[in-house]
Amino acid sequence: MAEASSSITEKFFLTLKSSDGDEFVLEESIAIQSITIKNMVEDGCSSSVIPLSKVDTETLIKVIEYMKMHSSTSSNEEEIENFDKKFVSNSINTILNILEAANFLDINNLLELCAEAVANRIKNKTPEAVRKIFNITSDFTPEEEAEIRNETPWAFEGNLDHSLD
Amino acid sequence: MMPPEDKKHCSQTLPPDVLSNLPEYVIDSILMCLPFKDAVRTSVLSNNWRYKWCGLPELTLDEAVWTTKKNLFFHTAEITKIISHILIFHAGAITKFILCVPKSRSCHMIDDLIYFLSKNGIQHFVLELPFRDDPHKLPSSFFKCLQLRHLTLQKCLVIPPPAFKGFDRLIRLELCEVTISSELLGSLISHCLLLEHLVLHIADSYSKVIEINAPRLRSFYFAGSIRSILIKSAPLLEKLLLADNETGYFGAEKWDIVKFFESFSALEHLCVNMLFAAEVGEMPTRLPFDLSCVKQLYITVDLYDSAEVSCALCLIRSFPCIQYMEIQEACCNDSVADHRVELPSDVTFNHLKEVKLIFTSGSIIEMQLAKLLLVKSPALVRMLIESCRAKGTATVKKLVDELTTFQGASPEAEVVFIKR
Repeated sequence: MAEASSSITEKFFLTLKSSDGDEFVLEESIAIQSITIKNMVEDGCSSSVIPLSKVDTETLIKVIEYMKMHSSTSSNEEEIENFDKKFVSNSINTILNILEAANFLDINNLLELCAEAVANRIKNKTPEAVRKIFNITSDFTPEEEAEIRNETPWAFEGNLDHSLD
Repeated sequence: MMPPEDKKHCSQTLPPDVLSNLPEYVIDSILMCLPFKDAVRTSVLSNNWRYKWCGLPELTLDEAVWTTKKNLFFHTAEITKIISHILIFHAGAITKFILCVPKSRSCHMIDDLIYFLSKNGIQHFVLELPFRDDPHKLPSSFFKCLQLRHLTLQKCLVIPPPAFKGFDRLIRLELCEVTISSELLGSLISHCLLLEHLVLHIADSYSKVIEINAPRLRSFYFAGSIRSILIKSAPLLEKLLLADNETGYFGAEKWDIVKFFESFSALEHLCVNMLFAAEVGEMPTRLPFDLSCVKQLYITVDLYDSAEVSCALCLIRSFPCIQYMEIQEACCNDSVADHRVELPSDVTFNHLKEVKLIFTSGSIIEMQLAKLLLVKSPALVRMLIESCRAKGTATVKKLVDELTTFQGASPEAEVVFIKR
C-alpha cells in the first residue's frame, strides 16, 4: 500500500525463519510487536535471518497475519475486532500452538486473545468434557477424584455443560 | 462457533496433554480468564492440574461464586468455607483480589483473608461488603497492605490506627458509602501522596468539612453534598465530576463557590449538576479568576430555576476557553413551557466548537438558550440537539427545524437533531 508513495522514512525489513526452515520477510515496525524480536533488534542481532526454532511454519503464518492486522494504520477498530473474532475460531490445536508462540515471542495482546479463547472452551464445562476437548488423561483413581471433588463441592455445583464445542 | 469440520479435527488430532505442558505463565493467563469456580474445577482434571489454580496471582470472588442455580441465597457458612479453602491451598503472591460479598452477614473469615492478603503482596484490592447489619470493621492488618496501588471499598467501617501514615503507593482510591469520620477521611486521602484518581460516594451526612490535599490528583468523582468537601490543593487536577446524592450537610456555613474552585488551576473537564446552586451562600456574577484550562463542560441545569441558571452562568463566564459544552435540561414540568427568562448578553464563547443540548420539551426557554449560543459562538461548527423524553420529541424536533434557518455568529455552524 505505502510502497508506491515515496515515503521519506526508510523502511527496514527483517527475515524470520520458522522451525521448518521457511523464511518470511517482514517490515521491522510490524515485527517488533514481538518484544523478543524487538530486543534482538535493539541488541543488533537482527542483521541476518532471525531463527525461530520454536515456531513452525503454519503457526508463524498465523502470527504474522495477526501482527500485520494489528499494526496497520489503515485497519480500524471494527476491522480488528472482526479479525480477532475470526482468528479465535481456528481449531483448538492451532490456538494452542499460537499461544505457545505468542509466549515465546512475547506478544502480549495475542497471548491474551488466545488465552481467552482457550478459557472459553473450559468455562461452564464438566471436567469430563474438558478432558475430552484437550485430550487430557486423568491419572486419578476414582477414590482420589471423589476426594478432590469433596474438598470444593461448591465448584462442581450447578448445571455444567457436557458438550464438546 | 467452530466450523463443523474443525470440531472433528480438534478432538482427533490434539496431542495428549498439550494444554498441560504449556509454560506456567501461559496456563496462569488461561486460568485468570476463567471465573473462580471454573478455575478451581480444573484441579480434578489430572495430577498435573491438581494445584494449578493455587498459584494464581489474581482471584475474583463475586456474586457468580456464591450463586448457584439451586441456591439463590448466600450463606455465611458457604462464604467461610470458600475463603478458608483459599487460605489453606493458595501459595505465592496474590497481587489482585476482588471480594464482593452480597447481602449476607459479616463473618470473621473476611478478616483472616485480609490478613492473608496483607502478607502476600496485594496491590489491587476490591472489597465490597454491603451487609444487612452493621458495616464490617476493617481489621488492623488492612492498614498493613502497603503495596496497594488500587483500592476500592464499599460499605465498611474504616478506623485507621493512630500511627497509620497512609498507603504511600496508592494511585487509585474508590470509597463508596464507607463509614469514616470526615477528619479521618480527609487525612487518609491526603496521606496517599501518589494518588491520581479518587472516587468518593458519601453516605453519611457530615457536620465537618472533609479537607483534601492531593498533590498528584488528576481525576476526582464526587457524589455527596458539595458543602461537605473542600479541596485545598490539587494542582494537577484535570477532571472533576460532581454528582448529587441524598446526603446532606449539617454544618452551618453555606457553600463558598469561589473558595471551592480556587485550587483548580489545571482543570480541563468539569461535569456538574446545578442542584448544588441551592447550597451556595453568595452567588457572584463570575468567579474572581479565570479557569482558562477548562475545555469541556457538562452541566445539568433546571432552566426555570433562577438560582441554578445564575450558578451555571457564573461558571461559564469564568471558563473563557471552553471548546465543548453539553447542557442537559433537568426540568420536566410541562406547565412552565411558555416561561421566558432574561438571558445575559455579556457572555461570548470564542472557542466553542461543539455544543450538545439535551432538551425535554422544545419550550420557549430552550429555544432562547439555543439561539443565545448560536449568536455568541463565532467558532461554532456543530450544535447537536437531543430530546431526552419521548413526550417532548416532536416539539424538540420542531425547534431544531426552526433553528436550521437561524443566522448565528458562525457561518459554518450546523444544527443537528439526534434521536435518542
